[in-house]
Amino acid sequence: MGLPLAIMLVIFGAGEFAAAQTEPARELSKLNVAVAVFDPGIPEDISIHRDLDVFPRIRKIEALFLPFVLRDTLAQTGEWGAVRVVPEPDESAELLVTGTIVGSDGNILELYVLATDASGRVWLDRTFTGIVTDDYAVSSAGADEALEVTLSYQSLYDSVATGLLEVRESLSSHDLERITEFSLLRYARRLAPVAFSGFMTELPDGTVQIDRLPAKDDPMMGRIELVRSTEYVITDAVDTKFRELRAEIATVYDVWREFRRKTVYYEREDLRRARDTRGDGERGSYEAITNSYDNYRYHRITEQEQDRLAVAFINEAGPTIESIESRVAKLEAWVELKYAEWRRILEELFEVETGGSD
Amino acid sequence: MVEARPEMLRTLFILAASQLIVACAPKPVISDEMMRLEGPMPADFSGSWERDYTRGDDFNTALGQALYRLSRKTNDSRLPVEQRMGNGTAVPQRHRASVYAIGRLAELITRPQVLTISQSEREISVAREDDYAIFCAFYDGVAKNTASNFGAEVCGWDGQQLVSHVTLPDGLQITHRFTVAQNGKNLRVVTTVRSSTSPVPFTLSRFYKKFEAPSSDFNCVETLSMRRVCSTGNLEL
Repeated sequence: MGLPLAIMLVIFGAGEFAAAQTEPARELSKLNVAVAVFDPGIPEDISIHRDLDVFPRIRKIEALFLPFVLRDTLAQTGEWGAVRVVPEPDESAELLVTGTIVGSDGNILELYVLATDASGRVWLDRTFTGIVTDDYAVSSAGADEALEVTLSYQSLYDSVATGLLEVRESLSSHDLERITEFSLLRYARRLAPVAFSGFMTELPDGTVQIDRLPAKDDPMMGRIELVRSTEYVITDAVDTKFRELRAEIATVYDVWREFRRKTVYYEREDLRRARDTRGDGERGSYEAITNSYDNYRYHRITEQEQDRLAVAFINEAGPTIESIESRVAKLEAWVELKYAEWRRILEELFEVETGGSD
Repeated sequence: MVEARPEMLRTLFILAASQLIVACAPKPVISDEMMRLEGPMPADFSGSWERDYTRGDDFNTALGQALYRLSRKTNDSRLPVEQRMGNGTAVPQRHRASVYAIGRLAELITRPQVLTISQSEREISVAREDDYAIFCAFYDGVAKNTASNFGAEVCGWDGQQLVSHVTLPDGLQITHRFTVAQNGKNLRVVTTVRSSTSPVPFTLSRFYKKFEAPSSDFNCVETLSMRRVCSTGNLEL
């Protein structure tokens, strides 16, 4: 253990390593959860963006921002281990939650959620819908309402959290233990494929079967666990960067949501106005045709105002997001680089300890 | 074969009738061909334009012309008597009222004194005071339509003219044709309003002169939380 430990101290620095060593033991049921940054769900055909109310850059921002709301919801239940937001789906996560934004218009959020554990078992595979239920007139009463607006999709995240919990409670201790084993083996296989490729087989249905387990005192597994703990430090650093992103854009996102809700309100008003004025004036009269034109005019102005606000939002939040994305990208590049080093070191160790045989 | 004859005749009659309907159907204001755009836009409208009041149609004159056309159509001796609108005598009051109504709407729509047109490789936006911006976008070489419960909008190019056409409920239609002079300094906008209740359309021409909008010493950017933010130097949010 001495040699790799020394190498790792060099790679990570003593402080980070010490942090990795101090992770406390956890209950079996408290699986670690990785929430991947959502898929913004932007159709490739830009000509239909207007029809679908998809503003690509705002959707990208939402895809970065909304996972944190889910993460916080899961963390606050106290039912899980570490809940992290990760830039990319990690198949070795004990429980991986991915999401795709199907629709988001300020009043309704539709989110497709796929949750799978490390054994390949699907926990959730459905679309959740959150609707802002508070009346616009009430929510626009004062600036203090902003927080309520932010939390107005909370029922959606609560539903996801409840769904996950229900599945977990249906699993036996043995199942949960297997998930952590699968997770570690998947991680080990990713890190040292030569050493760990023979331990499990992927089945046609997407699940994984463990063919054999490494010995409890297998020194390679010890090293893998050590490396993983250390990687968590890195992941947490990335997670912290994303948290900064959330804090930095939260205020402006709330404003955006409020404006977006107003737009939806105006759209409803347009419809109401059109309905109420339908019978005004004899058909073909000046009153009737100006009503018809005004209805269209207001509708188009509402749409164009919405586009303008989208640009204003991007102007304000864009630089922050670009800066954070750049920092996260640097971190990820660093992690990738270190991965390559770890993989090489572990494979060399494996060679030394097994004499080159499996 | 003999028993099938009446059905064949009926089918032939329906076919002939549909051919007749197709032949008589009004030509669309904007054809599929006009909606296609290959290469750059045929004309450049970008810039600020102010109304040239020395040119363009006078409302009363245009109204008189429309009513004259209505009268001609009403009493067109080439039409069978039953198709003439005024039975060969006076123009019905309701038709006069309809023409007057669409004329007033045309006048209302063409009232803006300033048009601000921005144009890129694929999009044209004509911003008007107190009205929505006429927007025309060509993605993948085809004009993008917009449609809602309130109306449908389509645009296209007729040679070097940009044409925008809006269809509203109850058969109301508005067409704008934009033509820029070869020197690029004058713009003509011809607006035609049609209604299913009016036998004749109403058209108004407006002319605009290009002007240089005063440049600002400030760099401004729209934001959500702070609205418009301006600075004399570089803006960093």
